[in-house]
Amino acid sequence: MNPLLLLGFMLKASLFSFSGMGNLPSLHADLLARAWADDRQFAEALAVGQISPGPTGLWVVSLGFLVDGLRGALLSLIAIILPPLLVLLVEKIYRRLSHLPAVDGFVHGLSLGVVGIFAVVLIQLLRGGPMNARTGFFVLAGMALAAIPRFPVSLIIALAAVAGLLLR
Amino acid sequence: MQSETPSNTAPTDKSLYEQLRAWVLIGFQSFGGGMATLALIQRSFVEDRGWIKMEEFTRMWGVCQLAPGINLIALAMLIGRKLGGGVGVAIALVGMLLPSVSITLIMTAIYSAIRGSAQVQAALRAVIPATIGIGLVTAIKIAIPLLRQGWKRGRGITLFSILTLCASGLALGLLRMPVIVILLAAGLLNGIAFSVLNTVDSVTETGEAAV
Repeated sequence: MNPLLLLGFMLKASLFSFSGMGNLPSLHADLLARAWADDRQFAEALAVGQISPGPTGLWVVSLGFLVDGLRGALLSLIAIILPPLLVLLVEKIYRRLSHLPAVDGFVHGLSLGVVGIFAVVLIQLLRGGPMNARTGFFVLAGMALAAIPRFPVSLIIALAAVAGLLLR
Repeated sequence: MQSETPSNTAPTDKSLYEQLRAWVLIGFQSFGGGMATLALIQRSFVEDRGWIKMEEFTRMWGVCQLAPGINLIALAMLIGRKLGGGVGVAIALVGMLLPSVSITLIMTAIYSAIRGSAQVQAALRAVIPATIGIGLVTAIKIAIPLLRQGWKRGRGITLFSILTLCASGLALGLLRMPVIVILLAAGLLNGIAFSVLNTVDSVTETGEAAV
């Protein structure tokens, strides 16, 4: 695995995303194409990112560790710290341009594109495990609990783990 | 909850050590993802310490939506710069990320060590679909305000927004187009739609208002 290329993929994904998990589709495409990671590792890293402290976006650090050990974790950390630095510049530019409909529209379309792609990638991640009614049940149960306002995400994960052990 | 700092007490000590302490506490305590982290930052800097006014916090969070990458890291940078310039930015990053990244790594390492066990596999067969369910709800939560914004701009933009959402998903799922291409196309087409349809809609509105 070429570390510079891995850093490049992660930087690109972070640079063109606008939320913690927005970098998922781009990374998923690039790393799977080179067989550096599989659906399973993505799903596992996302799960760790949901329970661990800090932004959910730290899931990438977990992914970096899974695919390339401590080096991968360090590269992913660099890749998620550098792009947000642009906020210092964006603050100034946005103040000047926010009245233009085209700028508003670009950000709007970009955000919609991220969501549409994101949903498809999530569903694709299910390929890493068995596709059966039980899996479908846990997806729906996860959705139902996550829709409850202020229901802790870590509790959903814990409940799912217990249910998985009991229904074995 | 006190939203205003009493005028007779100045905001608490803003020394670099105090800043670092605030961020480290957030880094250690924010179990439960992004919303937990955002809530802790708001409570710590606006309510508990009174270093930042709520209106300013809201404005900062809005700007962070436009910056690339993780919004919460961008927010930490803006707050850090406001409190201590360049050093403040560094303190915010190290303070928030060192504990949270370390814990994330430890959790991943423990997981890697035990991933072979039958119990872990059984738990994961439930945890992974549930995580995906949580992610889908997040996607819906992001999509709703976007569609609402579109609605405010009229029927044309609403239709175009729904179309963008579905077309982006299909372009990846069925056509396997590169993600960056899809995103740039979505951005550019909506930029054009906003400039064109916006004027059309305001004309229609004025027309209707006249009738």
